[in-house]
Amino acid sequence: MAENSGTDPAVNTNADENAAKGGTIIMVTVKTPKDKEEIAISEDSSVAQFKEEISKRFKAKQDQLVLIFAGKILKDGDTLNQHGIKDGLTVHLVIKTSPKASGGSTSQASAPSPGVSSSNRSTAGAGNPPPASTANQSQGTGPSAAPAQPGNLLSGFGDLSNLAGLGMGSSNFMELQQQMQRQLMSNPEMLSQIMENPLVQNMMSNPDLMRQMIMANPQMQQLMERNPEISHMLNNPELMRQTMELARNPAMMQEMMRNQDRALSNLESIPGGYNALRRMYTDIQEPMFSAAREQFGNNPFSALGGSPDGSGAQPSRTENREPLPNPWGPTGSTATTTTTTSTSIFNSPGMQSLMQQISENPQLMQNMLSAPYMRSMMQSLAQNPEIASQVLMNNPLFAGNPQLQEQLRHQLPVFLQQMQNPEALSVMTNPRAMQALMQIQQGLQTLQTEAPGLMPKYIQMPMILIPGGIPGAPLSTGGGLPSETPPASAPTSTPAAGANPSQQQLIQQMLQMFAGGSQSTQTPEVRFQQQLEQLSAMGFINREANLQALIATGGDINAAIERLLGSQPS
Amino acid sequence: MTALVFSMSSLSLSTVVRTGVKVPRNFRLLEELEEGQKGVGDGTVSWGLEDDEDMTLTRWRGMIIGPPRTIYENRMYSLKVECGPRYPETPPFVRFVTKINLNGVHNSNGVVDTRAVSALAKWQNSYSIRVVLQELRRLMMCKENMKLPQPPEGQIYTN
Repeated sequence: MAENSGTDPAVNTNADENAAKGGTIIMVTVKTPKDKEEIAISEDSSVAQFKEEISKRFKAKQDQLVLIFAGKILKDGDTLNQHGIKDGLTVHLVIKTSPKASGGSTSQASAPSPGVSSSNRSTAGAGNPPPASTANQSQGTGPSAAPAQPGNLLSGFGDLSNLAGLGMGSSNFMELQQQMQRQLMSNPEMLSQIMENPLVQNMMSNPDLMRQMIMANPQMQQLMERNPEISHMLNNPELMRQTMELARNPAMMQEMMRNQDRALSNLESIPGGYNALRRMYTDIQEPMFSAAREQFGNNPFSALGGSPDGSGAQPSRTENREPLPNPWGPTGSTATTTTTTSTSIFNSPGMQSLMQQISENPQLMQNMLSAPYMRSMMQSLAQNPEIASQVLMNNPLFAGNPQLQEQLRHQLPVFLQQMQNPEALSVMTNPRAMQALMQIQQGLQTLQTEAPGLMPKYIQMPMILIPGGIPGAPLSTGGGLPSETPPASAPTSTPAAGANPSQQQLIQQMLQMFAGGSQSTQTPEVRFQQQLEQLSAMGFINREANLQALIATGGDINAAIERLLGSQPS
Repeated sequence: MTALVFSMSSLSLSTVVRTGVKVPRNFRLLEELEEGQKGVGDGTVSWGLEDDEDMTLTRWRGMIIGPPRTIYENRMYSLKVECGPRYPETPPFVRFVTKINLNGVHNSNGVVDTRAVSALAKWQNSYSIRVVLQELRRLMMCKENMKLPQPPEGQIYTN
């Protein structure tokens, strides 16, 4: 009996679905890059039927399947026969995981969504202040995760890299940072200056450091858990490196940002796209904001949003014309945003809040100091005093106070050494120690105002030096501390400058130790010579009072005058 | 197909006069045909005759599956490969049919620059169509290529 092959339904016993078509069953291997399966299919079936089988076996939708045989894509309407697919041959399968309709923007983020997100991520990881400014502006236009990510990460980074720029080894001093950031955002030259700083560049070129810095923030970690994309981005060294290249090159960065914005505005125009963007924003940007806020005490961009939050800073859209308050130097400069009636560094609200924060939150110091980059930064600082001094000089906070700069320059090597001393570090992380230091400073402060002739000018060095000095003379502090408080209180009760010469000696010694052998020995009189002359020319003849006022205001004539006028009875 | 095979083998047998290393063209191409149908390799490239009736085994079609974690991911790139009469002593001509932005591929017509692909530039007669396709796929994974912006999916070169 000549059996009719092919169309005889009786031949098909196994493949029920294909029974209708008839034909011999052939075994075709379907291979994906990951695995392979053998599928039984009728010889005569169409590609569509074949795909049906495949979708069952591979658990994918039929329209996600793309079949390739002998270098050709099999279209649904074709038959297997047409392509010469026979028993034992192999067909290649690609399962399209991302639907073509994602994104849809026609700019550089072409069809595959990985393209969009990878370019997103590459900008997002940047630790660069300039995008903060562009990000701010773009935030105004449309909420978008991508610029927001750099914005927020940057607020973390921007501040940290400010710190690197500061080179002070300071902790996260909230106000300082805000001010720094504000000034940075309004002053692009400084940005490029900082970026050119080899220290910063060095730090940025190390992707591990950057990653660690980001991951150290617990908020960030939380965020990463919720949005695995972020952790993916962070863990991809390629992306990090590219991001850092971008960070180093602000022009490229801006280019990227612009492309981003264009892509996103395209996204917006798609129906439903705006919602997606908004969702992205709320999912990603908000937590980042709050993360930044938590850590840094204030939303750096709050000023932009016009919300009356935080320090009541003026919006940074306009250039910040007012000079920043100098928490270290005398605060008597004109029209500071945080007006202080105080005397010198230690009483300035900035400094005090600093201290408060440090003492309240030892974790801050801990975190900051234990960050790996601190070590390397310290080392490079110590090894290269040039850089350190340069970095310090670039610090805008010092810009207004050349005296301070001089002092710092002198004390730099000592300071650096002390910073490296692990004892110093442990002191800084100890909240009680910090509080004690605060007290000392306050005491010294009062001393200074009450007995100007007593104290040499170098009290006004940054307070960081003080903890640095402590390990240098651990023994004497023990003796110094208790003996310090009586002299501190004594002058308050005896306002006259007639302090006990022995006490005076003690204090002098102590200060010397603290300062690690400060070289500046100018008396206030010498330093304020010029101002004194001016004051006397104006008619303030009480030289003593003038001197006191000048000391209190750190050499600022106007403030001194106000002080003098305020203290006069009529 | 089987008729073809018969005729080819007889032809090639009759033309084999040389000694040594040179493999007859059609033998080679038949081998490659078989490999293409059997899916030899890692499953990321595919190739086969453009026209099954092509007795000269000259015009071939290739397919490259875009490598993951690149901008080419999830895309399929169709190619035309032409094995000339002196194949495998001389390399084949390769051109993309699907539009692609890749270093070494002409933007206007998809022709692959022989100098840009090392398998073509330093062709050996032991190489094959598979080798060329795999090399092109490797190029897609290079740093300089993996992020190049691509034209929208589905476009082909018309000339």
